[in-house]
Amino acid sequence: MRFLWTIPWFAIRNLLREPRRSAMALAAVTFGIVALMLASGFIEWIYYDLRESTIHSKLGHLTIARPGYLEAGRADPFAYLLPADTAALQRVRSTPHVREVAPRLYFSGLVSHGETTVSFVGEGVQPSLETDLSRAVLIEQGASLRDDDPKGVLFGAGLAQSLGVRVGDTVVLLANTPSGGVNAVELVVRGLFTTVSKAYDDSALRVPIAIAQTLLRVQGAHAWIVLLDDTSNTDEVAKVLRQELPHDRFEVTTWYAQADFYRKTVSLFSKQVGVVRLIIAAIIVLSISNTLTMAVLERTGEIGTSMALGVPRRRILAQFMAEGTALGLLGGVIGLVLGFLLALAVSAIGIPMPPPPGMAHGYIGQVKVTPDLAASAFVLATVTAIVASVYPAWRASRLAIVDALRHNR
Amino acid sequence: MTGEPARAGRPTRAPDADPRLAVSVQGVSKEYALGEERVVALANVSLNVDRGVFLALAGPSGSGKSTLLNMIGCIDTPTRGRIVINGRDVSGRTPDELAALRARTIGFVFQTFNLFPVLTAYENVEYPLQHLPEIGRRERRERVLHFLDVVGLADYARHRPNQLSGGQRQRVAIARALVAHPQLVLADEPTANLDHRTGRNILRLMRRINRATKVTFIFSTHDPQVIRMADRRVDLEDGEIVRLGVRARKEWSYAFERAAEPPAFADGETQPGR
Repeated sequence: MRFLWTIPWFAIRNLLREPRRSAMALAAVTFGIVALMLASGFIEWIYYDLRESTIHSKLGHLTIARPGYLEAGRADPFAYLLPADTAALQRVRSTPHVREVAPRLYFSGLVSHGETTVSFVGEGVQPSLETDLSRAVLIEQGASLRDDDPKGVLFGAGLAQSLGVRVGDTVVLLANTPSGGVNAVELVVRGLFTTVSKAYDDSALRVPIAIAQTLLRVQGAHAWIVLLDDTSNTDEVAKVLRQELPHDRFEVTTWYAQADFYRKTVSLFSKQVGVVRLIIAAIIVLSISNTLTMAVLERTGEIGTSMALGVPRRRILAQFMAEGTALGLLGGVIGLVLGFLLALAVSAIGIPMPPPPGMAHGYIGQVKVTPDLAASAFVLATVTAIVASVYPAWRASRLAIVDALRHNR
Repeated sequence: MTGEPARAGRPTRAPDADPRLAVSVQGVSKEYALGEERVVALANVSLNVDRGVFLALAGPSGSGKSTLLNMIGCIDTPTRGRIVINGRDVSGRTPDELAALRARTIGFVFQTFNLFPVLTAYENVEYPLQHLPEIGRRERRERVLHFLDVVGLADYARHRPNQLSGGQRQRVAIARALVAHPQLVLADEPTANLDHRTGRNILRLMRRINRATKVTFIFSTHDPQVIRMADRRVDLEDGEIVRLGVRARKEWSYAFERAAEPPAFADGETQPGR
């Protein structure tokens, strides 16, 4: 076994004797890895952007509500109100990794402007706590809400268009109260916003939570939206809060449990990336297999000589597999470096993308190369290269010595 | 049993093995299928070769010289008959057992030298030793340098085969054949790709090594000038041994022609088959 070190050394020398062919195989592996990194990196960035936009526009990382609110709250929203401020809220705020906890009061009703009346879904928010939490809510016109503004309302751009309102216009909101009556408030449009979801922008408006409470004649909120320092801490903090908060009074739900669109997008794109991986694996297999098959054909005489000199079949097998593996490793490393540099360059320039279906605006795409992505690309290169070299190597090791030696003549 | 440990590549000693013999070929035939036709390359050949001889297998192309060498070298298997190398019957051995036997017992010199182009002369000579774990790095180095010196190429250790002449390449091949201290060296037309003078020098080198080391050399050739340098000759025609000769001084004396019994060489004499 101590002579195994000679195998890679011999493999590299053999690869260098046909530099053009080896370079072609390396180029195929490198191209495959670069293509995979860019394609997967772009998809990864879409996941990232969609995830963070979803979190920072509506959901936060965690939603704390009364048990059952997310499933049945729409039918009887007033039965699921959280208190305005409690020790539980303080406990949530002091939990590690928690950056912000903002109350949300959800409601719906009719909004009128002049002769036009349309339905809306509204969110009462505390503007001072929403700066980071709602950073994906883009103010297209006007300004954000303020805590001390008793008349302000933000309109989704689509809703504003339906109603024909502009910044500075006065509107009237009508909503049901818990007693069954109807209440109304007159507000001034402070700004128009867009989010990742056009459907949301077409029907949503936001008011300071105090206005929403006045309109609905309630106290408290339907949910506490929790923003964390990092999305990767979601599960950990959710677990802590589920342990600390009484189960009968509070339910902790993660963002991804509510982000149906995100989950379906990930599922769809993951399958597409899987197809890309298969294609790239096929390119690598064909390329390395072709290179090694040619090598076996050309070096048949040498294989015969090696076997005549007493080299066992397994060593011949290992030799050719080492050459395939070396191509995969080297191509993988070059591909990683090149892919990473190209990803940086593409991200710096940006990829202008039109608005996807169901979204309000286009975006500038980037390529996000994560450690997992780089590792999987490298593993794909090497494992595929090893698999591709099995058959040529096996063929080489099974050659009849006498027949192989005739190739030298 | 010989008392040696049973291990791969060390076939057990044949019960009827004669310790004086390096090789015993017993009723060996080799037939090939060429389409629907059967070609007989060797027909019931029997031959005993004593240790330390310098033997030429002579005959025209297609006479069976190379086939017989391949059988003796355990790189091809007979259709019928058996071969005993160094007292060990090699019949029925697995490919890996035969590989181990070749690595430790048999050295090869090829007509086309068969050096590895990516390796230097030193590395080519070292190559067979890399598969013998019992030989340490220091001993490996000593052996390689010694045999490069024996073949007169100590100054060419770092040269690649394409930087060497045909004669030098064949010298490297001879050093490679000897480096594992084999009991038997097989050379298939070792001078066929060399000019006459270089070929003669190569044969002289082989004979000198044979005399100095007592390693058995068997080489095939159809060149009368080369045959003259052997001290034994076996002439083949159409896959059969037709003549067996011993050289005394500069003359060949032929013990028989068209031998019906296994011919043999023993103690410097030509004997009929045992």
